Amino acid sequence: MQIVVDLNRCQGYAQCVFLAPQVFELHGEEALLYVPTVPEGQDERVLRAAAACPVQAITVGEQAGEGAGVR
Amino acid sequence: MSSETLFRRITDYAHRADPYPLYAELREHGVARQEDGKYLVGTYNEITALLHDPRISSDVRNRTEPDPDLQPVEGLPPAFIGRDDPEHDRLRRLAMRPFGPPHSPGRIDTLLDDIARIAGQLADGLRDKERIDLVEDFAFPLPVTVICDLLGVPAEDIPQVHTWADTVVSGLDFAPGEDPGPRRRAAHEARMAMGLYLGGLAEKRRGRPTDDMLSALANDEGPDGRLTQEELMVTAVLLLIAGHETTVNLITNGMLTLLRNPEALERLRKEPELMPRAVEELLRYEPPVQFLPQRTPLADVEVGGVTIPKGVPLVLVLASGNRDPLRFADPDRFDPARRDNVHFGFGSGVHSCFGAPLARLETQIALTTLINCLDGPRLLEDPPVYRNSPVLRGPRHLPIGQTGR
Repeated sequence: MQIVVDLNRCQGYAQCVFLAPQVFELHGEEALLYVPTVPEGQDERVLRAAAACPVQAITVGEQAGEGAGVR
Repeated sequence: MSSETLFRRITDYAHRADPYPLYAELREHGVARQEDGKYLVGTYNEITALLHDPRISSDVRNRTEPDPDLQPVEGLPPAFIGRDDPEHDRLRRLAMRPFGPPHSPGRIDTLLDDIARIAGQLADGLRDKERIDLVEDFAFPLPVTVICDLLGVPAEDIPQVHTWADTVVSGLDFAPGEDPGPRRRAAHEARMAMGLYLGGLAEKRRGRPTDDMLSALANDEGPDGRLTQEELMVTAVLLLIAGHETTVNLITNGMLTLLRNPEALERLRKEPELMPRAVEELLRYEPPVQFLPQRTPLADVEVGGVTIPKGVPLVLVLASGNRDPLRFADPDRFDPARRDNVHFGFGSGVHSCFGAPLARLETQIALTTLINCLDGPRLLEDPPVYRNSPVLRGPRHLPIGQTGR
């Protein structure tokens, strides 16, 4: 599973960090860091994080990039 | 009917089961001035603009005419929900330190197993029952056990805490014709008693830290210093009440909505990975906080072609914005797979719900557990009997029957 975050859209609500803390991290108060290739065992948490994003900035797919299957 | 009476009609208990036609009427009128000088806003774009406008205050002390229903408790400062930046920001950041990122990013994640265990135990208790009250038997005890555990309230004190929380929330009710004095005084006394109780628990932990949030609030010192004892009291009261009175409604409204939409329920049974999005849709479709009654413009503010004067009561009807057809396609349809669902279920902007991640997780786990454990569930009363509050709207009881039992 791959993720892409539109960092232009991200507003630092940090809902993803609460719900998948091993994948998303806050650098300081607002800047978001994330692991694009989801580590094993984290899929369910990442789906929760993506659904929770208040600005819908997280895209989840089997494979990132053009033609990727989006979930 | 006149748009000037909309607020009176929305808060009238007769419309509690289905306020949505009134919200549609509100959207027709754009910004609606009420007979008593309140301004109601129910359209998505206008609510967004106002939630992100620094000229809109959350501190009712900025009202020209004090609203007796929204007075802070004498001798205590308002909690961060009723403050503006920079004080709001300082208090919220201090409360966030033991709850979430950047200081405690894993806090909610560590609760996952506990929530699943408590939900599983409660669900086991439902298995052999022909008739369930979802509120008393499941939707209430789950979040209350979790928030009390998280804060550090001992299990034996939960009934007392519940009595206080109920009294505080009924102080927020709008009951036309009734003398609100006694209700208000009781609410203030309960708030104070709860504050003293939680402050006392925190005090016991000072210098003797435990694993809970009260201990962290009492002991941890960050870049912003520490909460004063009074700030700690009102913050703890806020977290306990909010964690107590809203998730109950989200879980109950969730089950009610799924039982009214059997194809959605069936789909979630087959595709459990859809649950996070279904909960977002619930937050749009039946939000536990229907409107925000405590905003006030700090200057004359123009929105939707209307000037809302400085100092007047401004009511943002989130549940109406969530059904705005200009923003959401087919807004009165419950679609568990809805995309682009930027709803107001947790508000938006700097005051957006502090406990949102916990409420999401609890509701996702609660509904998944219920779907798996209930055997042919059906509503025994539709609509169910609602609680009084038009703001924290939800059923008082939700009787559910099971087939084959």
